[in-house]
Amino acid sequence: MIKIENLNVNVEEKEILKGINLEVKPGELHVIMGRNGTGKSTLANVLVGKEKYIVTNGTVSFNGENLLDMSPEDRACAGLFLSFQYPVAIPGVNNMYFLKAAVNAVRKSRGEEEIDAVDFLSMIREKLKMVDLDESFIHRPVNDGFSGGEKKRNEILQMITLEPKLSILDETDSGLDIDALKIVAKGVNDFRSPNRSFILITHYQRILNYMKPDFVHILMNGKIVKSGTMELAKEVEKKGYSWIEEEVAEVA
Amino acid sequence: MSISNYKAEFEKMLNRDYFSKSLHTYRKEAFAQLEKTGFPTRKWEDWRFTNVSIISDGKYKISEISDAPQTTPNIDSYQMEGVDTVVIYNGHYQKELSSVPDGVALLSGLEHFERKNGKFETANNSPFDLLNTAFTDSGMCIVVEKDTQVEIPIRILFISNGVRSIMVNPRVYIDVAESSSLTFMEHHAGDAESFFQNESVFISLENNAQFNHIRIQSNSEFTQNIASINVNQDADSQYHFWQLVDGGKLGRSNICVQLNGENAQCYINSLALSKNNQHIDNNIIVNHNSPQTHSSQFVKSILFDTSTGVFNGRTVVHKNAQKITANQTNKNLLLSKKAKMNSNPQLEIYADDVKCSHGSTTGQIDEDALFYLQSRGINKQDAMELMVIGFANEVLDKIPHPEIKKAIHTEFTVKLNRLMA
Repeated sequence: MIKIENLNVNVEEKEILKGINLEVKPGELHVIMGRNGTGKSTLANVLVGKEKYIVTNGTVSFNGENLLDMSPEDRACAGLFLSFQYPVAIPGVNNMYFLKAAVNAVRKSRGEEEIDAVDFLSMIREKLKMVDLDESFIHRPVNDGFSGGEKKRNEILQMITLEPKLSILDETDSGLDIDALKIVAKGVNDFRSPNRSFILITHYQRILNYMKPDFVHILMNGKIVKSGTMELAKEVEKKGYSWIEEEVAEVA
Repeated sequence: MSISNYKAEFEKMLNRDYFSKSLHTYRKEAFAQLEKTGFPTRKWEDWRFTNVSIISDGKYKISEISDAPQTTPNIDSYQMEGVDTVVIYNGHYQKELSSVPDGVALLSGLEHFERKNGKFETANNSPFDLLNTAFTDSGMCIVVEKDTQVEIPIRILFISNGVRSIMVNPRVYIDVAESSSLTFMEHHAGDAESFFQNESVFISLENNAQFNHIRIQSNSEFTQNIASINVNQDADSQYHFWQLVDGGKLGRSNICVQLNGENAQCYINSLALSKNNQHIDNNIIVNHNSPQTHSSQFVKSILFDTSTGVFNGRTVVHKNAQKITANQTNKNLLLSKKAKMNSNPQLEIYADDVKCSHGSTTGQIDEDALFYLQSRGINKQDAMELMVIGFANEVLDKIPHPEIKKAIHTEFTVKLNRLMA
């Protein structure tokens, strides 16, 4: 699905990522954990092509294509999706109109016909149920005046509507109450399939009570310093990060 | 600037046999007063950012019979579903093309004058209002009697065409009586190569009257368009105004609302789309003269190229006008580094128990929002357009009457597409 090799990234001339290596195969769910400021969000943003993130070294191959050469919209059309940590409000742009434009952009890139309004509405009604949102929700302006939980559910709604191959969830679980968290987790779980992959970036072990990751990675100072399974996440939950820091220091 | 440049035109007009002499006194008075004040210059506080020298230089001539169409003009491109239209072509009323909806009486300016028992109504004696009084050509009055709900909107279509530098001064009175309702639209269009329109509109809303006022100004880019809109509202009346300005070289709307009765409400909404060196200026004054009144100003501009804009919004709350609510919002989107907007929202409050707010923002396209749309597969060009249309929709979406709303949406998106291509 995606293969990241020795990825180095600068933000405003400061080196944030210092050689990331990560491979995610179809159907896998990878979790990336780490303290604040270790480069988790930088990794998410550089993968979707945000301008201010400058790649200084390394390669990313996405289903055989050179991801770093593609425009943000082409990456989306190729099946990459980011659930933003802080989704932006776009006043005046109707959520449904936006979703339909996005669906049609993706369809167009695949050489498919545009979806008509009636089919779109019946499809979106199904998806809304999956994230427990009322229909009035899609007639509001994108993220404008949405609560934190609504914004995150709107991200999941977009994910299950656009049906990406690889979804990156950047702290989608942060700041959610337990009910909203369960809805988000269910949205992701229902969406899992043998040919869809996920990278879940998180601060907290809590969401892992509702999701089954295949791998857990610890990001520290711009590098993945330790990888493991669910057990690793549990250990971090119990002991924090300092024992890993000590391990890294010893190796160095 | 001196008005003397227009002296010869004024004499010519007074000698026209088809203008009633009964108004001549008022015309002469206005002209004499205008000779004293002169045209505004940029030293005038309300005209600091707007240069009218092209008008005060005096190149415009009054519209002659020869400027009227010799045969019935083709107005196909200005057709609009679901409205009754009154056509004014270069200042000349086109009776055979005009119709009015049930419930509306259309009077000539002179009939209106007689209806008011020879009392001549005028506004604030600002230079362009005086100019209009002196030169009024197409005068007319729309009357809706008590308890009349007019279902079909009435539109006045002002067409400006031709190569001659013409000056037209329409004067429109609208009287909506108690508990009646009307939707009125003024549509300014045409391909004139040099034109100056200076309209004055007087709207009087009696108790509990409801009035929708829609204004489209999409003249040619060689048109100077000045509008003075005066609204007087009695108790419980509602005034809703929507404006789309995307034409003209110079556009200036002077809107002055008097909320005279308790619970009178006015909602002013405006959207401007400017390009090249267009200059679009909205000068709005709302006077809360009575308690429990409500006003809102929601004014947006989208500026391309080297175009410029002005928002000058003033809300005045008079001493006895307690428990009023008022807000002013001005938002501007600059789509070129050389475009410029001057925004000046002002509140003047003399009462002590009021709720007022105002705010103004001017900026470029939000890059984060743009990226958000791109990250969902929408290409940059489409994403930009989606955002600009979204910005505009906050004004346009509230327009009543689906046909009118659709027509205005189309007008806007066609113009926008041309600019963004």
